[in-house]
Amino acid sequence: MIPPAETVHWLFATGFLVLGLCQLGETLVGSTVWERRRWRAYLWPATAFGMGLFMWPVMVFFTSSTLHMLAHGAWAQAMMLAGAAELGRVRGKLKDPRWELTVALALFVSGGALLVHEQNSWLFSRAAFLHHAIGWTAIAGSLFPLVRAFRPGSAPLRAGFAATMLAVAVLLYCDRSFAPIFGHLSQLAR
Amino acid sequence: MRRLLGIGLVALTCLALPGSAWAHATLKRTSPDYRQQLERTPARVTLEFDQQVMVMPKSIQVFSATGRLLSLQPRLGKDPRVLEAPVRRLPRGAYTVRWQALSADGHVVSGVFTFGVRAPAPPPSEAYGAKGPTLRDHLVRWAYFVSLALLLGGLAFRLLVVRGNVSPAYERRFYRMAGIGVVATLEVGIVAFLLRAEDALQLPFERLLYGNLAAIANGTRFGLAFIAMTLGFAVVAALLFLGWLTDRRELLWAALLVGIGFASGLSLSGHSAVDAGSSWASELADWIHLTAGTIWLGSVVSLAVCVWPVAPELRREAFLRFSRLAIVLIALIVGAGIYLSVLRLPAVSDLWTAGYGRVLLVKLALVCLALAWGAIHHFVVRPLLERGPAPAGLVRSLAGEGAVGIAILLAAAILVDSQPPPAAPRSPAQAAQTP
Repeated sequence: MIPPAETVHWLFATGFLVLGLCQLGETLVGSTVWERRRWRAYLWPATAFGMGLFMWPVMVFFTSSTLHMLAHGAWAQAMMLAGAAELGRVRGKLKDPRWELTVALALFVSGGALLVHEQNSWLFSRAAFLHHAIGWTAIAGSLFPLVRAFRPGSAPLRAGFAATMLAVAVLLYCDRSFAPIFGHLSQLAR
Repeated sequence: MRRLLGIGLVALTCLALPGSAWAHATLKRTSPDYRQQLERTPARVTLEFDQQVMVMPKSIQVFSATGRLLSLQPRLGKDPRVLEAPVRRLPRGAYTVRWQALSADGHVVSGVFTFGVRAPAPPPSEAYGAKGPTLRDHLVRWAYFVSLALLLGGLAFRLLVVRGNVSPAYERRFYRMAGIGVVATLEVGIVAFLLRAEDALQLPFERLLYGNLAAIANGTRFGLAFIAMTLGFAVVAALLFLGWLTDRRELLWAALLVGIGFASGLSLSGHSAVDAGSSWASELADWIHLTAGTIWLGSVVSLAVCVWPVAPELRREAFLRFSRLAIVLIALIVGAGIYLSVLRLPAVSDLWTAGYGRVLLVKLALVCLALAWGAIHHFVVRPLLERGPAPAGLVRSLAGEGAVGIAILLAAAILVDSQPPPAAPRSPAQAAQTP
């Protein structure tokens, strides 16, 4: 009844793909054009919020270890918080630009939780490699919204954030249970 | 700033370290299965992991209900991912399997599950070795009740008492209170589940991190309630947020109804669902008792925290409307409470002879105090308010009533974690009359 972990990863990869494409689209055409249709401004924060909401079932159904459960809970809350803060800003309920920091915080916390919950080494298996890679990508990527909180209009920072989301999406799509990475798979995982 | 940078660097270094050979195994399946009822003694107990593990002296231990060890030396199976231990002949009864395996990284992964031989298996929370609730469990459950009160009471007060448009200051306070309530409900729920898992697994914290929780999450009423309530209150959090974002009151109604609905998880997994004499009526009574109690307390807190300090224009109307609502809530609390007390205490003397009864006595004393306080508000303050301005010190009086309500929730938390006295055995004559 519970889908394999890799299937869940692909579903969330699709969410990150949407997030990245929205950010990329806004970077390419500029915020003025992007927000000419009002709903577009809500697109990526609503997607992030929804992904956070859908992470809760992952938390309660994947309880193979306490560490996994807590990590999934951290992602659920981080994504909901980031999405909610951005929705509040778009709607005009939150005026302070420092609310942008919640996106940076969410990425940092998510990356940290990924690294802590993946107890295998980089080359243990493909899933382990991807967890490490996504964790560090998220931590590095958190710098883009962090700086953007102080330089709101910067297109390169938005592009960097979009690239982070797209990279996370690609990495998640690559996930397979117990697949080799660069031709290597630990004996323990065979 | 330097200090912050230093902390950041240390944190990054720690994250980089999860090391060159850290690898911990996950249990894929067991034989017998979780809580499986077998018709005959199994030849062995086997555990299958997702990767190779190393055997330890206590990798698989099978205990009887009295704690007798019935398993022999564990060993690796033909497949190095499988651990197995032969077992002696098992008589009819319930059995606990405590397992642990050494992963390649040196971390020990652990877990517990139960099975029965020609008898039903108990939930893992009642496995041999589990000690039952402690002070920490009482405090966590208390925090859960208070969180529910802030959430459900705040919402109900906003929708049933302060119905129309309100000042932005009140609205901000209301959303803060309900927001704290829903976040705390989720967080405290996770802590409560982990405490229960820790008790069942009997592991120190560092090993609990690698403990397998699946048997507790999927094999106990408490675990199923945790799953349902976590999902339900995540939806409530989303509805509450969307209500704030869009200023749509219908979403708050949806949040309140979903919240009340999922609060039933406590009633469906507690005494009212599993003890002798429990039925759908006891579950319903427990749910009504809990819901009415949390709404009453949350409403008192709303009056003291949201209305009085920042919305003087609402004070009179809110107090008078809440007085009417409180009568209904108190009737529900008292009616359901009396029914449940009669059900759980077979004899009146249990009130002072049994531990459960003594805690109930303390709770009843606190309820009487709260009722008296409420009566003063209803019969003395209310007529004064109808005639003129609010009497001085009313907000302190409301805060006092709220504090008593919070103390009642502590007594309720201890009651929920306590075992009611067993029903007295029937006399032979009574037994003979019953088919």
